[in-house]
Amino acid sequence: MPPLLAATGVRKTYRTGAVEVTALRDLDLTVLPGELVGVMGPSGSGKTTLLNCLSGLDDIDAGRVEVEGRDLFAMSDAERTEHRARSMGFVFQAFNLIPVFSAAENVELPLMLTGTPPPTARARAVEMLARVGLADRVDHRPNELSGGEQQRVTIARALVARPAIVWADEPTGNLDTGMAGQVMDLLTGLNRDEGQTIVLVTHDEAIGRRLPRVVRMRDGRLVSDTRRADLEAVG
Amino acid sequence: MYPNLLLPLVGVVGIALLTLLLVAVRQPVVRRLALRQVARRRTEAALVISGSVLGTAIIVGALVVGDTLGFSVRQEAYRTLGPIDERIVATDTAVGADVAARLQPLAADPQVDGVLSGQVAQAAAASVHAGQPVGEPRVLAWQMDLDAAGRFGAAGGDSGLRGPAPLPGQVVLNEPLAHALRTGPGQQVTLYLYGTAVDYRVERVVPEQGVAGAGLGGRVNRNAFLPPGDLDTAARAAGAQPLSVTVVSNRGGVEAGQRLTDPVTARIRTALGPDAARAAVDTPKQSVLQEARRTGDSLGALFLMIGSFSIIAGALLLVNIFVMLAEERKPQLGMVRAVGLKRSRLVGSFSLEGAAYALAALLPGVAIGVGVGWGVAAIAAQIFRSWSVDGGGLTIAFAVTPTSLVNGAALGLLIALGAIAATSVRISRFNVIAAIRDLPADPGRRPRRRLLVVSSTLAVLCAVAAVPAVARSQGEQTYLLPALALLFAVPAALRVLPRRAVASTVAALVLLWTLTASVIRPRVFDTPSMAVYVILGSLAAFSAVVLVSENQRALLAPLRRMTSRPTQQGLAMRLAAAYPLAKRFRTGSTLVMYTLIALVLVLLTEIGGIMNASIDQAAADATGGYTLRIDYNPQAGGTDPSAALRSGPLAPQVSAVTPLLNARGRSTDPGHRTAGLLETAVVGVPDGAVTSIAFRDRLPGLADDPAVWRSLADHPNYVVVDGFFGSTGGPSGKPFAPGDTLTLTDPGTGRAEPKTIAGVLKSGLAFYPANGNSATSYPLIAGERSIAAQFGPDARTASALVRTTPGTSPEAFAGQLQGEHLAAGLVAGPIASDVHRLFAANTAFFRLMQGFLALGLLIGITGLGVVMVRAVRERRRTIGVLRALGCQARTVERSFLWESGFVALEGVLLGSVLGVLTTWLMYQKSSAFAGLEGGFPIEWGPIAVLAGATLAASLLAALGPARHAARIRPALAVRLPD
Repeated sequence: MPPLLAATGVRKTYRTGAVEVTALRDLDLTVLPGELVGVMGPSGSGKTTLLNCLSGLDDIDAGRVEVEGRDLFAMSDAERTEHRARSMGFVFQAFNLIPVFSAAENVELPLMLTGTPPPTARARAVEMLARVGLADRVDHRPNELSGGEQQRVTIARALVARPAIVWADEPTGNLDTGMAGQVMDLLTGLNRDEGQTIVLVTHDEAIGRRLPRVVRMRDGRLVSDTRRADLEAVG
Repeated sequence: MYPNLLLPLVGVVGIALLTLLLVAVRQPVVRRLALRQVARRRTEAALVISGSVLGTAIIVGALVVGDTLGFSVRQEAYRTLGPIDERIVATDTAVGADVAARLQPLAADPQVDGVLSGQVAQAAAASVHAGQPVGEPRVLAWQMDLDAAGRFGAAGGDSGLRGPAPLPGQVVLNEPLAHALRTGPGQQVTLYLYGTAVDYRVERVVPEQGVAGAGLGGRVNRNAFLPPGDLDTAARAAGAQPLSVTVVSNRGGVEAGQRLTDPVTARIRTALGPDAARAAVDTPKQSVLQEARRTGDSLGALFLMIGSFSIIAGALLLVNIFVMLAEERKPQLGMVRAVGLKRSRLVGSFSLEGAAYALAALLPGVAIGVGVGWGVAAIAAQIFRSWSVDGGGLTIAFAVTPTSLVNGAALGLLIALGAIAATSVRISRFNVIAAIRDLPADPGRRPRRRLLVVSSTLAVLCAVAAVPAVARSQGEQTYLLPALALLFAVPAALRVLPRRAVASTVAALVLLWTLTASVIRPRVFDTPSMAVYVILGSLAAFSAVVLVSENQRALLAPLRRMTSRPTQQGLAMRLAAAYPLAKRFRTGSTLVMYTLIALVLVLLTEIGGIMNASIDQAAADATGGYTLRIDYNPQAGGTDPSAALRSGPLAPQVSAVTPLLNARGRSTDPGHRTAGLLETAVVGVPDGAVTSIAFRDRLPGLADDPAVWRSLADHPNYVVVDGFFGSTGGPSGKPFAPGDTLTLTDPGTGRAEPKTIAGVLKSGLAFYPANGNSATSYPLIAGERSIAAQFGPDARTASALVRTTPGTSPEAFAGQLQGEHLAAGLVAGPIASDVHRLFAANTAFFRLMQGFLALGLLIGITGLGVVMVRAVRERRRTIGVLRALGCQARTVERSFLWESGFVALEGVLLGSVLGVLTTWLMYQKSSAFAGLEGGFPIEWGPIAVLAGATLAASLLAALGPARHAARIRPALAVRLPD
């Protein structure tokens, strides 16, 4: 099976005045379709930078990133943006919903960007909200929702356009334990039941233990890549 | 300007600054918090300062316009009077000699600097320049002792006329006459004295100053000073008498001497004894300086009124910015409150920050204001020249008084500090926890009981006070009190109705009242106060914007198909509409800025349009079929021009001549605006000669215009005037009406008679004298016999209305007439051309006011720029998310541009609709539009240009922030903290 994501020799350096910080050092990573991959590591290890670079949100200094066989950094900004709209979904730690849009309007946003007719888009958004348990919150604005509800709207938005891959950056970072558990149940369920590919950044070991594959980072390098199946095999 | 405001303004500003200084010194935390905020957001700081600069500049500019115009008129005192404070004129030579003899001892009076006597006669002059004859029909030929004239006035002071008396065959000219004749020292000129040509060599040309520029009340006097005895000789030969003029100089300089006018005039009257009844005593210096003050004050007030809309926009800009800053800093403010900073100190911190912006804006604002004032005054002077019927006009002399600069700066500072303090108090009332957690404020909270009681009481009081105000059509109160009553009723209404319903209903009622008040009470504009227009415009703009803001979603419903298109464009439009809907306060205050300024700009455009549409009818009303007005010297010998036109060589081109009897009189103000007497150009019309010049208002019982003219013959106490009688500029309203009375006095004999106004002319232009003998002289028309009876020999046939035959060019015929009758000093003016020239000047003045007001539009555009800069900063994370989700950079850019375009367009459209509607209602009912009967045009072209230019400027203001937004890197933006 060809990989959904293939990153080779990815390097990213941040420059602030005279100071240079290398956030990613010649990093290689492959993600197969249907995988749920956790990216873990201590603070400052480069987890979020990795997510940003592999999703094309940020530029890289060296290396190559292919998503669905297309080299992200060989594309123009406009092409990459369009590619993101068609192939990727995002879940952020701070939810990042559009405050002036209702829950349904937020969810239908990716569909609008890919040309789905408004009635179809609205129907799918409502259906998606129902799936994440928010059927009664369709017309609520973000500031009228709790943190957990907001994150579920974000997940609905990330999934509604049926993207090839969903990037989740600390999706439970702003939630209490109970709410975090619910969100993780939702994500793992989607992966398990629908084969949704998800790359999830977290620093929470409890969450890491629930993931089938975990890559660990330190100082911008990938230091381990462990599959739960391997661990179970080891015993 | 406004020296009476200086102390209160400086006092209040001083107290405010002192308080802030105390806060800064005694509360270091507050000071640090405030000053670091200033340094933190430099772009916003620059934009706040720009807004304040414009506000201060507009105020200072308006005051400088007043200073400059007042000073320019005051210069007339230096040019045409110098040391002359009082003028005593006798038509009889023997009386004149007696007057001179009686007044000479006054020279020893400690309150008097000098007494000077001479004779003067109206004359004409001609010269040859570059082989071409040059004529000037408006000349004053003087005969006086030039040695005495040189010594006249304060010892060592400049009387304006120095040097030896001209020798026989020589003449001394002043600059205006030399300029008109294009001649100079050593050149030959011909003077027509009582119609007889006398050749002279120009001995010297003296500057137009003091006695050298003196006349009988004209704004520009073209003087020739003859050798001793020449005028007497010419008068004797013609069997006429020159006017005897004695002038008195009060102790002190040109302006200081005016203070002694009343006591010195009293002494003159005492000294004149029985001659007081046979000579006219004038106080020209006092009149000129009073007119200067009136001109400066009224024009300064007019521009301040126009500028006040921009000032309101400036204050709104400050409020808007501070509300936005507070929103951004909400969690931070919540924290400082949580750790123990009192609310009052928070207000102090905001006020200090605002004061820093306002103080930084002060000096640039004053400097730009001086420039603006100079520009406006320079253009205004050009326009005033076109207004002048006698060709004199006003020479602009730029002046700025320290009082105006201090007043302007203090007023600008006070408005800024007031807006900031009020906003600071408002924004300091937040819930600490909600602020820290950045939660929305609870909008559903019901008003507190105390507020409810106070506001309901005020609502009742305003409603009660509104009843008599509306019944009496009191301008400001009629608009303001019902609106305030409705506003104060809001807390009570909120107890029973939802917020949106209350806001919409109150706004709709205020708007309805604002638009229809002038229909219900048509006399609401009959006030010289300009505040009523400011209140009207502000109420209309604010209420309309509240109404629109509360119902924006419904108004945008027709656009829903466009905003829900599943494209990048559709998303851009959706975002562009969503944010203004969500941020109602900032959108509303930006909308008010645009609406207010657009309303007034469109109102001025529409008034210009109404005037242009009425021009032909106005010309017809003013001329009544006559094409020319001629003025001539009745003392000139030879053929009487009126008779010559009937039977002379030019008669074939003339179909009718109506000679007019002329006298100088003084009248009380029928509108009771001044207790002083008005200089009046008294005109007597022959019985039944004039029937076609149209009236605006007639005495009840006089069925039509000819009936009014006929009534002048039948009723010696009937007079007619035009609507500008006694007006000193600004909106005149209807200060008098047919049936009102006045007292007309012959200044030569003191004979006074009561008169009743039988009709108010639509235009009295045909009756304004064109000989330049008086600067401000209001025509008053009566029957020929009644004028002859009251004024006796002082009333002379010195002008006529002429109707030319079809096909004769009035302009060419006027030139021909002036050439033919130069010896008689004939001045011919085509009446219709004058009407067109005056209309063009009025239109130009409206354009000037529009230009001044456009500064307010700059404030609105700056405001929009500020909102956009802040919006980009606030929405960085949202922009990052949008970009992450697949929104193109150009979509982000477009959404910002469309958002600003949407707000600007909505504001301009709203303002334009209100502007057209308000003008239409005023046109239907206001007396200010009386006589303008060319219909109500909608000026689509200029309104489209205004909307287009505003939209383009607004997009330009948003372009920078929009591009900045498009460049935001999503990876960085999605992780930004709130």
